[in-house]
Amino acid sequence: MSDEALQRPRPAGRKSRLQSLRNDSPLLLLALPGVIVLILFAYLPMSGLILVFKNYNYNGGIFGSPWAGFDNFDFFFSSMDSAIRATRNTVMLNVLYMLSGTIFSVAIAVILNELRSKSFIKITQSVMFFPYFISWIVIGAILFSLLDFDKGLINRLFGTFGMAPVDWYSDPWMFVVILVAANIWKSAGYGAIIYYAVLQGIDTAYYEAARIDGASRIQLMTRITLPLLIPSIILLSLLSIGGMLKGDLSMIMGVTFLNPLLLPTTDIIDVYVYRTAIRSGEFGFASAITLYQSVFGFLLVLVANKLAGWYDKESKLF
Amino acid sequence: MATNQENRTLIVTFYFCIGLFALVCLAPFVLAVSGSLSTEARLAAEGYSFLPRGFSLDTYKFMFDSKADQIFQAYLTSVVVTMLGTACAVLVTTAYAYVITVKGFRYRNFFAFLAYFTMLFSGGTLPWYILSTKYYHLDDTLAGLFVPYLLNVFLMYLQANYFKSIPHEIIESAQIDGAGHFRIFFRIMLPLGQVGLVTISLFYALQFWNDFYLSLMLISDEKLYTIQYMMYFMMANIQYLASGNSAQIGGAVIAPPLETAKMAMTCLTVLPIAVLYPFLQRYFVRGIIVGSVKG
Amino acid sequence: MLKKRVWVSLFLATLLLITACSNGGESGETPERTTAGGNNESAGNGLKPAKLKIVLYGEESPRMKELAKAEFKDIVKKEINADIEFQFIPWTEYGGGKTDLMLSTGEDFATYTDTNYMVKSVAKGLYADLTPFMGTAAEDMIKTVDENSFKAFQLGGKQFAVPVGNKPNSGEFYSVLVRQDLLEEVGMNSVSTLAELEQFYDKVHAAHPELIGYASTDARRMLMYEYTDKNLYWQNDFLAIDESADNDQIMSWFESEEFKAYSGLMRGWYEKGIIPKYAATNTPQLQSDWNSGKAMFWAGTAARPFEGAATISQAVPGAKLTNYFLSKDLPKISRGTYSTAWFVSANAADPERYVMFFNLLQKNQELYDLFAYGILDKDYTLDENGRLTRNTTDSLIPDWLLMNKNFIRFDKSVPDDFIAQYKAWDDEAIISKGAGFNFDNTPVKNEETKINGVFSEFLAPIASGFLDYEENFPRALEKLKAAGFDAYIAEYQKQFSEWYAAK
Repeated sequence: MSDEALQRPRPAGRKSRLQSLRNDSPLLLLALPGVIVLILFAYLPMSGLILVFKNYNYNGGIFGSPWAGFDNFDFFFSSMDSAIRATRNTVMLNVLYMLSGTIFSVAIAVILNELRSKSFIKITQSVMFFPYFISWIVIGAILFSLLDFDKGLINRLFGTFGMAPVDWYSDPWMFVVILVAANIWKSAGYGAIIYYAVLQGIDTAYYEAARIDGASRIQLMTRITLPLLIPSIILLSLLSIGGMLKGDLSMIMGVTFLNPLLLPTTDIIDVYVYRTAIRSGEFGFASAITLYQSVFGFLLVLVANKLAGWYDKESKLF
Repeated sequence: MATNQENRTLIVTFYFCIGLFALVCLAPFVLAVSGSLSTEARLAAEGYSFLPRGFSLDTYKFMFDSKADQIFQAYLTSVVVTMLGTACAVLVTTAYAYVITVKGFRYRNFFAFLAYFTMLFSGGTLPWYILSTKYYHLDDTLAGLFVPYLLNVFLMYLQANYFKSIPHEIIESAQIDGAGHFRIFFRIMLPLGQVGLVTISLFYALQFWNDFYLSLMLISDEKLYTIQYMMYFMMANIQYLASGNSAQIGGAVIAPPLETAKMAMTCLTVLPIAVLYPFLQRYFVRGIIVGSVKG
Repeated sequence: MLKKRVWVSLFLATLLLITACSNGGESGETPERTTAGGNNESAGNGLKPAKLKIVLYGEESPRMKELAKAEFKDIVKKEINADIEFQFIPWTEYGGGKTDLMLSTGEDFATYTDTNYMVKSVAKGLYADLTPFMGTAAEDMIKTVDENSFKAFQLGGKQFAVPVGNKPNSGEFYSVLVRQDLLEEVGMNSVSTLAELEQFYDKVHAAHPELIGYASTDARRMLMYEYTDKNLYWQNDFLAIDESADNDQIMSWFESEEFKAYSGLMRGWYEKGIIPKYAATNTPQLQSDWNSGKAMFWAGTAARPFEGAATISQAVPGAKLTNYFLSKDLPKISRGTYSTAWFVSANAADPERYVMFFNLLQKNQELYDLFAYGILDKDYTLDENGRLTRNTTDSLIPDWLLMNKNFIRFDKSVPDDFIAQYKAWDDEAIISKGAGFNFDNTPVKNEETKINGVFSEFLAPIASGFLDYEENFPRALEKLKAAGFDAYIAEYQKQFSEWYAAK
């Protein structure tokens, strides 16, 4: 992969190697601290990937432990229905998170961009950021006090209107909606800041020109603001596509308490691995599945990156 | 005339939507504040409400009485780590982001890929832990609390995205004037990418402020505990109870923390950022680019 | 050009600073270590100085922090010439997480384990073999701690962990721990059958509808007397043995008629509301409710009446707890051990000294008092009867961890007859015929992992009554078989029979 990356963008004129190094050296120097961090904390530890194919023991260490081949993957892929369901749930939830999250974040940013009251913007933007800080455990506790069958606020409200109480925690599909809503609630404010910041960097001259041409407010939003956000939307989508198979265990644990009745839709890969391998103390199994998640995500990104390249060369990740 | 009317309805709708969403976001936080000011008995009996149930400062008093020094120390560590970490990380990140946005740089894609690959693949905790403790000796050091996180690839791409929105002509004209990469980076890109810079600074600050993992892995000296790690200690009890593993230790009586304490800790960790954020917002100023091109 | 150089040096300086930071911390610590180890010729028994690190889980209380640096440190220094350090880490790191990392990287420390975690870790070579030191370093402990407790932590005749304490443990969870104050409030005296237990629930429910009935989701042990004549003892979630039969037969719990009967009882409890509806979701809430006095009964152990009362009485001052067996005919079964034991990491420089420290914790009344309760007349006082009054709520070395029936002190609220009952709790107990057997899961690792997944999704909800047996069991069984349960149980039976025959 890196070879290909190396060869692709050659400047037109062939300079001597020395000369080009001279021109590039400030850039190499600028990248150096980052490269060091990457090497120390990401690439050197990657040697641990071989552990996935080994039976780790203390005396052997990382390199001396006996080989296990693909044994560590067996527990996952030998029960195909669980593996497929976990993969499906993960992809489904991630796609929903990505779509809903992007729509909400972009909408908030675009709308904020239209508002003129400085203090209103300041206050609402700060407030929308709060949920980001509240841990899933606390969110789970608050949700529980809303949704509990006997004492939950919602069922008590239903009661006062003479409606039958609903057993929220036994409806797996209802929980997809709840999880998506919780995710929007927790991260939309964070995402909106990213887009809002992009809009703040935009030259106001664009708007002036369009306004003189008699464009309406809605037209300004859809014809100027939105298109300007597209590179950022593409970038953030590309970045999250790589994590398409990775799920947030703490979220599911916090919000559903790993309720068995909800597992048909909430049993994402990370939850399944937790319920099986980690609870059995087989950590080698767990890291094997992490590799599966990475490889799958990587393939998706390669495709998505290609597609993004057709749209605009500058939108590519690498 | 009609469009004006239309505009007004639109604006009112906008205000309403944003206001509503903000309220929904605020509500649980109000619940948390009110919960932390309630008495444990009434909170347990009656559940959460927007007004404290039986107003009392006991929870905070209790927390500060027994652990005042430690909480203060942890706050201090968190603040130092956040400031130091953010400053270093922003420098490392923006420099790297600049490199992968330079048009015509032959290794541009190589560096972009080098960073992106680490977002997907990791070797797991074990080798990371061995290297960090045995070889880099980051255990029980202040550096251990931020050095491993100096390059967040997601934020690096974000910053690159902001750099890309800077009109290319500005860079070209600087190059024609004979400016080198260092000069362009520090004198043009950083000031012009200020909005991006503020954004990623904010996100970095959050990352360092919210992190408990580095403390958990590398710190055993309680002088270096961060406030989030202290919070995690408490939350870990709940998580452990929820996992059902506790049944294996027959004798252990692990009491889940009091609801009020849980809420108080949430407030304690959120507040500083809630105060800091509006302050940062004044850097989100429109029209920076126009101004600087003229000047 | 000059500017460029300035920036280069700035970057280099930043890097240097970072490296300096990381080295600085380390060099700051080294001299401390050497001085700490150096000046102690006076110390215990002519031993060479050693350094010990004990890892404990949970939050460290402020008083523990003080004692760990002063009295605890001094006494360990004096007795066994070791510098001791206590490190507290979060509960989530127990049996995995950071504990596993510390073991895998060969750090020098000791902490506690259960048998499951021990078997796995020993297979990976992570625990030190403590057999050679049991005679020399654990002398006192061998006298004050039950012999069977040591056997439970042996693998292939080698001692890999030593028991943390010695408390009566037979019939653990086979009794019903009832809120005696509520029982008396509704005009009842005792509970001896399931019918009476449910009557108790009905009456209290009528008077206090806000209370929940049973604060747990597992009642297979305490209800055993209702659904079978066998005396069952569970090896894990899936397998049981019948203690009343003299054979080596392993029973598949979920496939048995007994399980069917039991899950019917639980379904009844769930539908009736004895187990609250939220139990399917929010398990930690059950324990919170119990602790805050909002539940009627729980599964009992010998010590829970006074351990639990301490917590509940903070919320309900008059709370009293009593253990009842739903049948008195069957002997209590003991696995002959406390479920927790100390182990030492494989790379420890001086494992013997660790054993000496464990021995110290159980050596005599004086030391036990110090580690469990702190300093006399400061942290606690004793009255003329030797009853304890603690002046601090801070936990030191967690007392459940040390608890030894020979040394434990009770506070004034515990009646004398309870203490007598507690000390005699194990007297008529029988040792489980499986005590000391540890299953090596290596040949069926995959199967075990998969059936754990089936358990948490399909079997646990049936067992707790959340789902109906008739409707859901056939599918659950199918999943269990597909996950390789038959291979698992065959392997278990094989190992157990071999072990049983050798015994």
